[in-house]
Amino acid sequence: MDIDLSADDLAFETEVRGFLSENAYTNGANPEEWRMKWFEKAKEKGGWDVPKWPAEFGGPGWTPNQHYIWQKETARAGTPWDMPFGLSMLAPVLMAHGSQEQQERFLPAIRAREVNWCQGYSEPGAGSDLASLKTKAELTEDGKHYVVNGTKIWTTMAHIADWIFCLTRTSDAGIKQEGITFLLFPMKQEGVEVKPIITLGGAHTVNTVFFTDVKVPVENRVGEEGKGWAYAKGLLEHERTGIAGISNSIVALEGLKKRASSVKRGNGSLMDTPSFRSKIAELEIDLMAVEYTELRSLATASAGTAPGPESSILKLKGTEIQQRIQKLTMEAGGEFSAAWGGINSGPDFARAGMGGYMSSRVYTIYGGASEVQKDIITKKVLGIKSTKK
Amino acid sequence: MNFDLTEEQQLVSDSIERFVQDSYNLESRMALVGKGPGFSEAHWKSMSELGWFGLPFSEDDGGFGGNQLDTMILMEHFGKGLVLEPFLASIVLGGGVLKRAANETQRKQWLETVIDGSKQLALAYSEAESGYEPHNVAVAGTKTADGFTITGTKCMVQHGGTADALVVSFRTSGGTTDKSGISLALIPADREGVTVQGFLTVDGLQSAEIAFDKVAVSADDLLGDVGDGFTVLNATINDGILAIAAEAVGAMEVLYKDTVAYTQEREQFDHALADFQVLQHRMVEMFMEHEQCKSLLYRATMEVANGGDDAQRNIHALKHLIGKAAFFVGENAVQTHGGMGVTEELRVGHYFKRLLVIEAQFGNTDYHLDQFAA
Ligand SMILES: Cc1cc2nc3c(=O)[nH]c(=O)nc-3n(C[C@H](O)[C@H](O)[C@H](O)COP(=O)(O)OP(=O)(O)OC[C@H]3O[C@@H](n4cnc5c(N)ncnc54)[C@H](O)[C@@H]3O)c2cc1C
Repeated sequence: MDIDLSADDLAFETEVRGFLSENAYTNGANPEEWRMKWFEKAKEKGGWDVPKWPAEFGGPGWTPNQHYIWQKETARAGTPWDMPFGLSMLAPVLMAHGSQEQQERFLPAIRAREVNWCQGYSEPGAGSDLASLKTKAELTEDGKHYVVNGTKIWTTMAHIADWIFCLTRTSDAGIKQEGITFLLFPMKQEGVEVKPIITLGGAHTVNTVFFTDVKVPVENRVGEEGKGWAYAKGLLEHERTGIAGISNSIVALEGLKKRASSVKRGNGSLMDTPSFRSKIAELEIDLMAVEYTELRSLATASAGTAPGPESSILKLKGTEIQQRIQKLTMEAGGEFSAAWGGINSGPDFARAGMGGYMSSRVYTIYGGASEVQKDIITKKVLGIKSTKK
Repeated sequence: MNFDLTEEQQLVSDSIERFVQDSYNLESRMALVGKGPGFSEAHWKSMSELGWFGLPFSEDDGGFGGNQLDTMILMEHFGKGLVLEPFLASIVLGGGVLKRAANETQRKQWLETVIDGSKQLALAYSEAESGYEPHNVAVAGTKTADGFTITGTKCMVQHGGTADALVVSFRTSGGTTDKSGISLALIPADREGVTVQGFLTVDGLQSAEIAFDKVAVSADDLLGDVGDGFTVLNATINDGILAIAAEAVGAMEVLYKDTVAYTQEREQFDHALADFQVLQHRMVEMFMEHEQCKSLLYRATMEVANGGDDAQRNIHALKHLIGKAAFFVGENAVQTHGGMGVTEELRVGHYFKRLLVIEAQFGNTDYHLDQFAA
């Protein structure tokens, strides 16, 4: 057992730090110009604009350790905002299952951050039980198009997306995981209607999307008809590092401690009160452990062996920790966290602290709710099988 | 031993329950939130006509001679409907200070109009650095020939934006955290030097930040003796804690029952969600938390109403347990509703937001744990 980084890793760490500080945002700069410039510079470094893409598709082809270093350093330095849908969700599916024509058509625009994608998986009747989805895609008689009808829900950013990657049902025969087909089509066309859903933080990020006779050329089908489920699921299982947001949580905890120290309580600060102090300590202890859980998982990935049981807990633990940080931030803001605005007193960080906390509740719901994750671990990791006779 | 309501209490309880059911669904509530005064003047008038404002006042003051138990019954129903009207601010808090400290003239001039609902009060006691301690008062009164001028800012004054007059705590002697040296006054909101900035809180209620700039306070405005305000203030805040704890118990009941209902309707994996044992057990725990809170609410309310020796410890215990349960019940109600739980469309999120604000009001869960343990 040995946790030292190799000399190469240390050199890489220095290089990353240099890059991030050279390209850091300077006050007053135009954020969008800075953002595009940042990606351009990152691309010149050899694919740093698409860190998770493999080398054959223009990515940097980093080792797991290098990914870990990148994640740690960017958590501290910050990176331009980005949308994950095209970059981290669709791109790997296209790389694995798309035709060469599709790869050439879609990947460059995703990489250039020119085309925004949204993910059309969930439906009103198909949330945790995603495979029961019903949005129908029927092939026209001439075999040239699919005609799509149905409703998607919770579609993040559908209102600004240019394209959607969508799971549709092309057959009702067999088990429900079969007969699902992966289609790509533009959002700005007749037959696509987007209706906002307002969430508890007061924000509009998710939508209901209605499809009425949307015509999709067969060239826009990814892979084979009826195999869409495997393509979509395979992606989720391959994502190992970074899903738990642990590096971000470590930085956020440091920030939280500073904030809590600035809040007066009696003659001292909130950090001096026994109950709050011990909650921060408990959080830190959990974070120390999960950081090493991630490193263990990384080590198996580096060795190229199958992920160990420890990697299955990263999403559950990571999201729980993120929620606790939001909750403690809200608590540190005290009653001032209840204000939406229109107030001058109280700590600055408290503005809409409850909004932030409410928004964090989704971490354990989207991308596979925690209960369902635990079901998967029950079966796949603990090996428990139903004995129902 | 008997936890039943008296016949009279039962009648009042039924009428409040009916009012909440008839007037407060999510849609009608959302039509009021953030607009105008942020509540319904018509509801306020009905409440006054039904006589609820007189519940916690003595017959001499023109009330019905009830106590904290009567307020509890009312607030629990209000919690089930997420009622927006300023009963807590005007009756429990503003009125609470007046009934304890006002002199004859002040009673005549103000209590009557507060009880008939034609005037509203708010309690301005908390400050940017109070850290939940009601005795941590920096807003200062400077002695004048006829009283004081006060200067400083009060924060998170519930319904301060619509109140006709403010009950204000300020320091007339001693250090910032001393319990002695705090004075109370009733100041009309339109008095020169008072600047009121109202705003919306996440639960859809209204709050305000109120700046006092050399505001003149005469001897006639003072409530009780100079420097002796803390006992009255603390007793009133304790009433406030009992009231919002009752409201929270009402809100938690809605949350666990809505969750039980939703999981029986919603199907995934060819089952109602309620078939999954992990969710069943979770709902049992939500129900248990609610019942435990109700027990401690009864205990603390009776202890305070009977003037028991252990009243203050009961208050700390109650506010702690309510806060802890509010998080547990609220988080699990949202989680169990999945995506629907985080939308503005379903009412669970709205109840949860109200619980969050209750958790932070009058000292949060941690604060009261530390006080209890101290
Ligand atoms: C903010 C947000 C953004 C989203 N973005 C997208 C997006 O861009 N694209 C997209 O396709 N989807 C998106 N989703 C949808 C998300 O993936 C679903 O909400 C999630 O899969 C849960 O489904 P559901 O909401 O229907 O809850 P349900 O499936 O109805 O579940 C409700 C509750 O029951 C529990 N439960 C379900 N089955 C079981 C079981 N067998 N045993 C025990 N408990 C169970 C769940 O864990 C949950 O707590 C988003 C959701 C949110 C909230």
